[in-house]
Amino acid sequence: MVGPAFDCLANPLGSVRVLFEKAIESGRNPASLSRADFTGEVFRRFLFEEGGLSHVPILDSVNLLGIPPNSLVRFVGMVQDMFDDEYYVGAFKDGSTWRTNKYTDVSSLPMGPSSEMHLWDRRLLYCVPVPGQNSWFKAAFTPINSLRGHSSVVSHQREKRPREPDSMDLEVDGSDPDLALSSHAKKTREEGSSCSQSSEALESNLADCMSSNFDSSSLPCLVKIYDGPDVDIKLNDIFEFIGVFTFDPELVNHNSNHDELSDALCEDVLAHLPPSKVPRLQCIISRRLALLDLISTPLGLQPGQELVKGIREALLQSLTSVLGNDGLAAKYLLLHFLSQIHTRIEPVAVGKLSLNLTGFNKKNMGLFGKSLDNAIQCLLPFSDSIPLSIEYLNTTSLAPKKNYQTNRLVTGALQLAQGTHLTIDETELKAGTLNATGVDNIRILKQFLDFQRVEYEFEYYKVAMDTDVQVLVLSEAKSNILPADLVLPFRPVEVGSYLNASSSELEAWRWYLSTLRSHRYHTIDPAMQKVVQDDMVAARQADRSLGTEELSRWLAMARLMSISYGENSLKPEHWQMVKEMEKLRKERLV
Amino acid sequence: MARDSTPPSTPGSSPAPSSSSPFRTPSSSRPGSNQRRRGGGGGRGQRRRTTPTSNSSPGYYATPPPNVAPSPAPSPALTPSYDGDEAPPSSEGGDMDSNPPMLVWGTNISVQDVSDAILRFLKNFRSSPSDFEGKYIRIIDQTLELEGHSLNIDGQDMFDYDQDLYVKMVRYPLEVLAIFDMVVMELVNKKKPLYDKHIQTRVFNLRSSVNMRDLNPSDIEKMVSVKGMIIRCSSIIPEIKEACFRCLICGHFSDLIPIDRGRINEPPRCAREECLAMNSMTLVHNRCRFADKQIVRLQETPDAIPEGGTPHTVSLLMHDKLVDAGKPGDRVEVTGIYRAMSVRVGSTQRTVKSLFKTYIDCLHLKKTDKSRMQAEDPMEQDVNGVDAASSRGFVDDIPLDYEDKVEQLKELSKQPDIYDRLSRSLAPSIWELEDVKKGLLCQLFGGHALKLPSGANFRGDINILLVGDPGTSKSQLLQYIHKLSPRGIYTSGRGSSAVGLTAYVSKDPETGETVLESGALVLSDKGICCIDEFDKMSDSARSMLHEVMEQQTVSIAKAGIIASLNARTSVLACANPSGSRYNPRLSVIENIHLPPTLLSRFDLIYLILDKADERTDKRLARHIVALHYENPETQLQDALDLPTLTAYVSYARRHIHPQITDEAADDLITGYVEMRRRGNFPGSSKKVITATPRQIESVIRLSEALARMRFSEWK
Repeated sequence: MVGPAFDCLANPLGSVRVLFEKAIESGRNPASLSRADFTGEVFRRFLFEEGGLSHVPILDSVNLLGIPPNSLVRFVGMVQDMFDDEYYVGAFKDGSTWRTNKYTDVSSLPMGPSSEMHLWDRRLLYCVPVPGQNSWFKAAFTPINSLRGHSSVVSHQREKRPREPDSMDLEVDGSDPDLALSSHAKKTREEGSSCSQSSEALESNLADCMSSNFDSSSLPCLVKIYDGPDVDIKLNDIFEFIGVFTFDPELVNHNSNHDELSDALCEDVLAHLPPSKVPRLQCIISRRLALLDLISTPLGLQPGQELVKGIREALLQSLTSVLGNDGLAAKYLLLHFLSQIHTRIEPVAVGKLSLNLTGFNKKNMGLFGKSLDNAIQCLLPFSDSIPLSIEYLNTTSLAPKKNYQTNRLVTGALQLAQGTHLTIDETELKAGTLNATGVDNIRILKQFLDFQRVEYEFEYYKVAMDTDVQVLVLSEAKSNILPADLVLPFRPVEVGSYLNASSSELEAWRWYLSTLRSHRYHTIDPAMQKVVQDDMVAARQADRSLGTEELSRWLAMARLMSISYGENSLKPEHWQMVKEMEKLRKERLV
Repeated sequence: MARDSTPPSTPGSSPAPSSSSPFRTPSSSRPGSNQRRRGGGGGRGQRRRTTPTSNSSPGYYATPPPNVAPSPAPSPALTPSYDGDEAPPSSEGGDMDSNPPMLVWGTNISVQDVSDAILRFLKNFRSSPSDFEGKYIRIIDQTLELEGHSLNIDGQDMFDYDQDLYVKMVRYPLEVLAIFDMVVMELVNKKKPLYDKHIQTRVFNLRSSVNMRDLNPSDIEKMVSVKGMIIRCSSIIPEIKEACFRCLICGHFSDLIPIDRGRINEPPRCAREECLAMNSMTLVHNRCRFADKQIVRLQETPDAIPEGGTPHTVSLLMHDKLVDAGKPGDRVEVTGIYRAMSVRVGSTQRTVKSLFKTYIDCLHLKKTDKSRMQAEDPMEQDVNGVDAASSRGFVDDIPLDYEDKVEQLKELSKQPDIYDRLSRSLAPSIWELEDVKKGLLCQLFGGHALKLPSGANFRGDINILLVGDPGTSKSQLLQYIHKLSPRGIYTSGRGSSAVGLTAYVSKDPETGETVLESGALVLSDKGICCIDEFDKMSDSARSMLHEVMEQQTVSIAKAGIIASLNARTSVLACANPSGSRYNPRLSVIENIHLPPTLLSRFDLIYLILDKADERTDKRLARHIVALHYENPETQLQDALDLPTLTAYVSYARRHIHPQITDEAADDLITGYVEMRRRGNFPGSSKKVITATPRQIESVIRLSEALARMRFSEWK
């Protein structure tokens, strides 16, 4: 039945219409079709079975103008805000035939004042590109399948890319929620360049990775979801939306027409989001993307234990050299990179492993901080950093805050997608006075580190959102305001070098990190369980100061250690390794 | 316009595209005889909540109501019967009494049946069978005496009396309420013919309240009840109800012209015979009549927001007396009619109707200032004066399956091991500490506060102090309790000053006025105030707690403000022993190192010690391994989940008020005497706290809490 009659790509609305008519013909009541998925099957088959997905262009600021309206596009982004549901005329009778307005902003056909109609609803999501995307990730992800046909350039881009035009030259809309973040990015950048004394090559390398945060392609998108509340979409989820890109010039002068409700409270969100700046996407199919879906498996890799071990060794070697030959720190860093919350048992987030590297000061921050940053940006898809200073704490709002004037959630530095890496540089912090904002921010940071939870500010109350962010704290001595799980004095023996690897190596490492991180099913056999328990009891007998947290952390580390070898269950040798590491760390702390 | 959403086409109610006001707020209902004019289709689609409040000359309107929509119903008007009362002259007086029963078009409502049912309900409903007079008759009398404008109808009463009527009202609120108003006015006219105010029916306490995010297109035009928090109020919008025109040529004033669907019909010519000038009429603002209108934004309360979602909002439209009834920050329960109106997307006609905006036309607003932990709250009030109607217990909180839920909870309470199950469900991630958890549970349930006629207060709140070695997850427990009780405040003793805890006076930066700001203890009134690092607290701050913990008030005398604020909080404090670790060589008192006066105010003091015991260590190890490797569901097998736990606690706090039996009283007395004696034996160290009358109070409170846990009315 599905023949070439369906041009899902160029004329998705036509297909929708045909499908709707079919559904009506088959005797279904138009009222019952409100949330019925009469289009999904055909589109899903087209996209995933017939390989249509690769032909669907990705919506970004570059090709925004090139994509014809009412064609099929896809958009990958993070859900930044959710608006109230929108009611629209879903089905109406045009003469004697039923028509639908599903997947359109406005009705394509005139509706008589007396036509019979049904009101349907749709959800509105405000999506932004995932914050903190690193350039390699963007380069690797965006142009694949894109209509621009840049695919041949990709490999070169990754190697050496000309410095991108400064994102700040771009016009920033006043109500842009990215503003806070982008100005923060700007600050980072400025600070980065002001204290840089490194060579030109390093600089450009750095810029390559630093251009990560917000460049020209940060295009927000208003996604309209038609499936009703069943689809479980949460704030800060990374999603891929495939749907109809609509652009209706008639919507542009929407503003001029005030109605009473929005007049009185000026809360019409959409009024602040003109379609010229925020494209509309009428979502037909959405899917949640895990890290693994975002990173392609390098060609020629046959996943296996040996291979995983090999990659692990090579990666550890490089991390060691980045950290000035501090092998212990490198091991901890690797575990830290692999950490992910796998369970929450209120109020504990099990699986998080935040790391506090101490012994950083102004001087070696320049040496190691940058190479570390660079390594993080080259290895992980999403990363961000916060330079902690009194001024920063007093002026920025870390947690997102609802602005009731515009009815939007204004993002904060801690609104991050699950699995993002965050570096907090505490070396900038000097003695000073915190104002109310600063005190609040400290409280938020503490809660964020302790429970991986950020309270979003809704003025009359706060809503706690669970996060899963790997936090690395760099500080001079143990940080008291940022209580990390692990405190490790950093002991470099030589100058740290930049991550030095071929692109294929990098690719393998990225694959390694993201694959193993997604590994959630890890078990422990009873014999091993006994060993672990006996060890814990013995350790506690020997040292009464060992608390629940320490023991719990050991187990978390052991789990990560065994995962880092690609194992599915905890092995005695990994448990031993962790104990050894902890012993060495304790020695350093003394 | 919103009616277009319902299946049958209603040609009469198509939107008025040129109307600048999307609301249909015509002066459809008018006082006096015009109340009776509309049977048939007339009431449909009209908004009757916006009735002008007074008009002393009912016969003023000679013109037929402008808003009788064209209707396929055969007869244009049907007048409900009214027998032999002295009705004022009515324009349609001729066609009464004789029409056959008929239905409001598009509904199954028979005007006659419904108005009879309403009359029966009003006249016969009694809250208890022994009452001499019907409850609502009494309320109507009260309203008349107070010269009120509204009649509050408890939806629950209506449901109890006449389910069919209730269902009809929820399904077709516009029609039924119109009839309701008519019936009420008839009754009023009988009682007090000259009563010149229009009494509106305000329904509240529907059987089920909808979650804001569950409102969907099928709810449009139905009566809904929504809970939420007001976040914004618009300024008051004067809405013209009747316009007055003056002839520019001769100065003749026109009659008051009612507004039809937001549109003023300007008379084309002067009505005076001598003048008859064309297009000479001009609007005279100060002789027009206006009604207040306000738009309010309601947002979901935190407990309704699913994980990972942002709160939804909905607009409310308030009229007349409801304007300014709620302020931003108020938690309210709103009953109203859910409506949609089309948004004009572009300037062109063709896109007019594809988008709709929704709002709730507010009928009744109830402030509900209660969190999950609150039993009764004096703040709970009705906006409108007629409170007798609402004196019946508000069994609201949980919608729909409320009764089922209560049954479930009662079922739970009957289980023999409920106490253990509850304590197991509390903070499952925290290992062991069963005793402490049981104590915390008592705190959550709380004792019964007693107020003697003499004015003496006995607190029901239980205060707990946890003293323990570092790393015994005290802070985690505090966090958990703080999370469980929404009114809870979490504060750290280090760095919090006395004023921060109690209340302080500050100057408003804009106006320069001095304002009293509440501190943590006042904010957690009727909740739990969790104070971490109690030992690090400054002495002055700690001394403030004396008053709070026994008298449950905070007194402040500063900058000319002398105030005593309620701080009925339970205090949950945790501290480290004086030497940061417990020193077994010192006495308990020396280890805790807090003034005895303060200590005696704690009902329960727990020492959480980290003893070197292999067995507990083993259990700890197993617990940790389980935390990391086991499926949390299997681990917490027969524990209650958080929502059930909170429901259980709040139900018990709300409905269970245990009494002391004689045997229990005897036991308590002998126990107390025993305690006194123990403290006094010769040679005992002075540092041992002897039992004081406070202890017996504590014991009573704790036994009350334990009884509540079992849903038992007796200890």
